[in-house]
Amino acid sequence: MPDSSAPLTTKNLRRPEGDRAFDAAPSRPSGRRVKIAVSVVLLIHLWGVVGRPFEFATQGPFGSSPSASTFYSPVRAYSQFMYLDHGYAFFAPDPGPSHFIQAAITDDGGTRVEMKYPDLAEQRPRLLYHRHFMLAEFLNDVHYPPGPPPAEIASDASAAAEWMRTRKRFDDVRDSILHHLRVEYPRCDVAIRRVEHRQPGLPEFFEGKVGTRDERLLRVLFDTFDGSPSVDESQSLEVPRETVAPPDAEPAS
Amino acid sequence: MSSQSLIAIPRRYAKGLVDGWDQFWFTPESPHVLAIIRIATGLMLLYSHLVVASQLNAFLGDDAWINNRTIAAIHGGEYGPADAARSYLWHFSNPLLLWGHHLLTILVTACFAIGLLTRITAPLAWWLQIMLVHRMTGTLFGLDQITTMLAMYLMLSRCGSVYSIDAILRRFLLKEVASSKRLSWLLPSDEPSVANGIATRLIQIHLCVVYLFGGLWKARGTAWWDGTAIWFAISNAQYQSIDVTWLGRYPRVFSALAHLTVFWEVFYCALVWPKMTRPIVLGIAFMVHAGIALFLGMITFGTIMIVANAAFLAPAALVRPLLGRRDDTARQKSG
Repeated sequence: MPDSSAPLTTKNLRRPEGDRAFDAAPSRPSGRRVKIAVSVVLLIHLWGVVGRPFEFATQGPFGSSPSASTFYSPVRAYSQFMYLDHGYAFFAPDPGPSHFIQAAITDDGGTRVEMKYPDLAEQRPRLLYHRHFMLAEFLNDVHYPPGPPPAEIASDASAAAEWMRTRKRFDDVRDSILHHLRVEYPRCDVAIRRVEHRQPGLPEFFEGKVGTRDERLLRVLFDTFDGSPSVDESQSLEVPRETVAPPDAEPAS
Repeated sequence: MSSQSLIAIPRRYAKGLVDGWDQFWFTPESPHVLAIIRIATGLMLLYSHLVVASQLNAFLGDDAWINNRTIAAIHGGEYGPADAARSYLWHFSNPLLLWGHHLLTILVTACFAIGLLTRITAPLAWWLQIMLVHRMTGTLFGLDQITTMLAMYLMLSRCGSVYSIDAILRRFLLKEVASSKRLSWLLPSDEPSVANGIATRLIQIHLCVVYLFGGLWKARGTAWWDGTAIWFAISNAQYQSIDVTWLGRYPRVFSALAHLTVFWEVFYCALVWPKMTRPIVLGIAFMVHAGIALFLGMITFGTIMIVANAAFLAPAALVRPLLGRRDDTARQKSG
């Protein structure tokens, strides 16, 4: 019977007779050289684990700290391939608003249906909803204002080229989302827009009676330099102009 | 101070450092906790793959939300520096091929979860997951980061040597295992091993890094300092799964929770090691992640974080209760 005070080993466990004949001894650490080699590999791996969060944490308006970037640089590729390149900024620095994609799908007969991604009523289970949620956040994260860049940037050729490249990323991601919807809804016109859903402040919630799903918390993010509607966009039929329906009509009380 | 002690002190310190390193990394560990983490990680990965399968063309292929061309451009350097997050799935367009690959992923992951040929299915499940995450950029979140991390470390260990089909097979094929090195490698014993120790340490350190930077990032914000962060998390309608906005009526409570979260995350990496503080740190981890799972709509992420924290439990803490019950049963039978 195992002694409950003894350190746990598999000798304490019920095992078939004879099983111990060839592996009774625990596997022992190998020689010094192997230990040194393993230690070096472990240190390089841990460098890869720490490198990206460190570089990411040092981000400021002018990029990351040069020393943090230098520190991360040798293990950057390793960390990226091993999927270690995260910042771990969960709900940080402050829990901000969330975003969704609103799609207007118009068929041949002119009937328009509005879809929302993510939408708990459409995407179940919750993990499927969350994947769509992350997609909407991704589209928002990669948003960059359309060109041409302002004069001070346009005068710097490399800055202007970077502007256009970064903008193209948004264009391509948005077009990819549009393509997916067109495949899902063949022979339909499809338009999408980004909508921000902010949280109510405490006084707003308790005194102003603004619920967490109140339509007043929604804001359409227009694809313009400052996010406000351009003249063209506000008139465009390509952009759904209907009132943005709140996800769930919630009583004001 | 004599010149002799000037040499002796650093030498003693260096020796202590080397001994400590040796003990930390190269002490053999039992596989039981890792086996439990394997089952939970495997099931979570399996669930995630099944969810992706429910809308496979939305996540993989030329007509996905983020299609093959765009994903290759994002990682390939079209919009900025290229990165090394490569996946052959960028080149898979044929639906049959995609389905075949995904069914293989599901099958391998199921085998990993139940511990069937774990020496092979563990690295394979990790590899397939890596290929998938490098293809699914834009739809990923913390769950994917933690499951991939756990799968990576589990494949280094003998996590399939117990609570597994491999353990049953080993019992059946005892004589063959004894005479065959290959079979002995394929169906390893559940004796404590250095590989288990290294895998456990890597999970532990990785978790410390996750919490440290999670806490430091929060410390950069203002809402975690003025205490409103918890309010802004629970009042976010798109996360919300159970409405706990009533907590907003108790500013002292929700602000205390915000401060506790920041301090706990920042100091996790120091306080989780001493035996005195470990139960407190792990207890808070359980409560924080259970809260995320229940109230913020991330039951998968909350659960896998609790599972990852199990790496700090001593094998005896999990296995001894089982042994105790067995002994009681045996005593009753013999008595």
